[in-house]
Amino acid sequence: MWAELAVTAAKLLVVATVLLTCVPIMVWVERRGAAFIQDRLGPNRVGPMGLLQPVIDAVKLFFKEDLTPGGVNPILYTLAPMVSMFVALVTFIVIPFSADAGVEVFGVPLKGIHVAPDLGVGVLYLLAISSLGVYGIVLAGWSSNNKYSLLGGLRSSAQLLSYELSLTMSVLGVVLVSGTLNLQEVIGRQGPEIWKWHAVTQPIGFIVFLVAAFAETNRLPFDLAEAETELVAGYHVEYSSMRFASFFMSEYINIVTISALTVTLFLGGWQVPWLTATLSGWPLLLVSAGAFAAKVALLLWLFVWVRWSLPRFRYDQLMQLGWKGLLPLAALNLLIVGMAMGQGWL
Amino acid sequence: MSWWDKILAFIPLELVQGLGVTGKYLFRKKVTVQYPEQRLEPKDRFRGMFGFSEERCIVCHNCAKACPIDIIHITDHFEESVVDGKKRKKKVLDRYDIDVKRCMFCGLCEEACPTKPVAIWLTTKTYETAAYERNERLYFDKVRLQTWDGVLPFPGVKAPAEGGMPEDPKAEKKAAGGEGA
Amino acid sequence: MERTHLKAFADAEEMEISFGPQHPSTHGVLRLMVKVDGERILDVKPIIGYLHRGTEKLFERETYNGCIPHTDRMDYTAAVTNNQGLVGAVERLMGITIPPRAAYLRMILAELQRLASHLVWLATHALDIGAQTPYFYCFEERDKILDLFEEYCGARLTTNCMRVGGMPFDLTPGWTDRCRAFIEQFPAKVSDWERLLTKNRIWRERTVGVGVISAADAIEWGLTGPPLRGSGVRWDIRKVFPYDRYDEVEFDVPIGTNGDTYDRYLVRMEEMRQSVRIIRQCLERLPDGPVMAKVPKIIKPPKGEVYFSVEAPKGELGYYLVSEGGDTPYRLHVRPACFINLQALPEMVRGQLVADLVAVIGTLDIVLGEIDR
Repeated sequence: MWAELAVTAAKLLVVATVLLTCVPIMVWVERRGAAFIQDRLGPNRVGPMGLLQPVIDAVKLFFKEDLTPGGVNPILYTLAPMVSMFVALVTFIVIPFSADAGVEVFGVPLKGIHVAPDLGVGVLYLLAISSLGVYGIVLAGWSSNNKYSLLGGLRSSAQLLSYELSLTMSVLGVVLVSGTLNLQEVIGRQGPEIWKWHAVTQPIGFIVFLVAAFAETNRLPFDLAEAETELVAGYHVEYSSMRFASFFMSEYINIVTISALTVTLFLGGWQVPWLTATLSGWPLLLVSAGAFAAKVALLLWLFVWVRWSLPRFRYDQLMQLGWKGLLPLAALNLLIVGMAMGQGWL
Repeated sequence: MSWWDKILAFIPLELVQGLGVTGKYLFRKKVTVQYPEQRLEPKDRFRGMFGFSEERCIVCHNCAKACPIDIIHITDHFEESVVDGKKRKKKVLDRYDIDVKRCMFCGLCEEACPTKPVAIWLTTKTYETAAYERNERLYFDKVRLQTWDGVLPFPGVKAPAEGGMPEDPKAEKKAAGGEGA
Repeated sequence: MERTHLKAFADAEEMEISFGPQHPSTHGVLRLMVKVDGERILDVKPIIGYLHRGTEKLFERETYNGCIPHTDRMDYTAAVTNNQGLVGAVERLMGITIPPRAAYLRMILAELQRLASHLVWLATHALDIGAQTPYFYCFEERDKILDLFEEYCGARLTTNCMRVGGMPFDLTPGWTDRCRAFIEQFPAKVSDWERLLTKNRIWRERTVGVGVISAADAIEWGLTGPPLRGSGVRWDIRKVFPYDRYDEVEFDVPIGTNGDTYDRYLVRMEEMRQSVRIIRQCLERLPDGPVMAKVPKIIKPPKGEVYFSVEAPKGELGYYLVSEGGDTPYRLHVRPACFINLQALPEMVRGQLVADLVAVIGTLDIVLGEIDR
């Protein structure tokens, strides 16, 4: 009992640490990547290759004055960044970062780097919790008592609600094929071969999911809630210091989450074709964790790359794409998957 | 447009093409100049901080008149001296001040200067004129105009403090380009 | 008490946003009072004057050559064409014909400046619409142009590179080679940016049908430059009232059809290619000889008045000069392109979304230095 708790706590600690470390690395990758795309060098002064730049940024934000403007609703104004951060952090417990591998620590089965391995409704939990994230943004937009924030919050709520649907619909296809909501089992059903991965068997679903993922994380083609050149900074225009940092961090954690989810659902999770099937024990654990990280990193780079290449949608066009484009496509995907299953192909 | 074309048009190939463009630039050699360590050398005609030579100045006030915003203040007086038994009047410069903080570096003073080589010039290739206190640091009298230092000259460029000015580019220009204004 | 509260709530459909002067996409210090219903714009009222420096009054106490540095600071992204208009006006009043080499130099510099100005426009316009990367590509190319300016006249932005009667200096040795090298590699860069934007469906969705102004309306509002040509009116001062030696070079005036943001974008992109074409011809024909006509040391135009305009990158830039025969202008009025183009903004954005407002400000290519003067 106590040993199990300790193992879970240790896993939680490891996952949370890795996650929170991911944020500065992601910020660094984004800034350097953007710079290289844009023909410049980016931050390269603090630390080797500028690696400590995000740390310095965080320190700077930490020492900034935490301003609460007059006219805000102080409770909601304080609550909003917390909600964002909380939601971003708790989604992670159901994501399997590695294979189960059958490793035991102190006589307790580890069940992979996976905080809640026995949660049968992993997919449901993830979707449910991640849709809570909109509360943080709406509350921030509304409680700031700023017109730009309000518009940002409005845009964001409409956007997240409509894209949540497409996202869920495209996940449905995967769930249908897998027959389970446990993410570890979803990975297991995809098999080690690439052609069994859901990205290959359900390309439409994969694309819909990816586009909806961009929208869910408020990344550039869909970053209407912030829309720097229109709404200045959108919902967090009045935030400063660590409250702003909370929004900033939760945005990046959300990107990591959604990438991890994409890898889990569509890209075979931690599996490496032909390799992970031959391993077991600790090597499997390490190799699978590494493979997972590599796949997530590739997706994260895609996020960065797209952000610095494409212009921004307009609000009504975003709605059109969501309702008239992605939702029918997701339904089509579901239809195809259902028919294929009926034929016994999947 | 057939239905097949419509389906093809639905596939966002041009977005991928755009990603290709940014991907191409990703691996290009960067053009950033790492400023405090690397410095771009200004071109020869670059209008930077003033240089001034009192010996060449004939106190004609042309520069002060040419200045569109009147930031050059000149005062002078006549000195009489006896050379070879003849009385000679000579204009002597008392003050030659430039309120550099208001200067817009148009270079009209240099163009107006009738001496050859010119007594006031801006081609000193200096651009690091930032100062903490603008009224003191950016108000140059005739001594400071001739002796200012503290900016890094580029190879081949002599600051007035080192007692020189660069080759006068104006002379060649005038020779090549006919009569000047 | 409660009733008034409820009433206020019922009336809360309309909201006034003060857009600027500290806003990332107002291109300076433009302030817009935007009346919105949700995201839809009901009305826009531009409020200007934050950058007013009294330039026209300043002209009245400057000698004619002393006016030139002040014109640099009006449209600070296109100093050369500003200079060109002023010296052209004075020369017309005095009846001076500038030497052919000076005329060609002016054309080369003005077209380079048009490229530089259009690059700033493309950079900021794309940035406003959310494409952040073309900004840096454009500024890199612009920097090469500014290097050429720096080499020619010693300044990168506020060039002060023309004088009444010609040009103050001749080219430095090798300048033409460097200029030629620049324009040879430039069209490929334009193609790169077009690959990023022109066919991009997000870009098209954001610009097609946004900020439409018909040809008749455009003429009525007095629009000039790309906003007018985007509506399909073939009007270019370089063609209709040729100055310098524009009648000797071949170039096309691109026009749009729909008068929307996308067409104005296409017009400007094509104008860049045409400018390259003009520069290439000028470099080929660049005659030898003096760069300065015989002008008196102190310029005193005869009593009279003259209106002279040039095709600045933003539109028609005109100078209305009244001389009393002295060495300073009696009155020098500037007909700015941006100020008049900006007046059509409320007309163009009414009924559209907040995001379109930003796109339309970008497409009008305004510079507050010229609007406020």
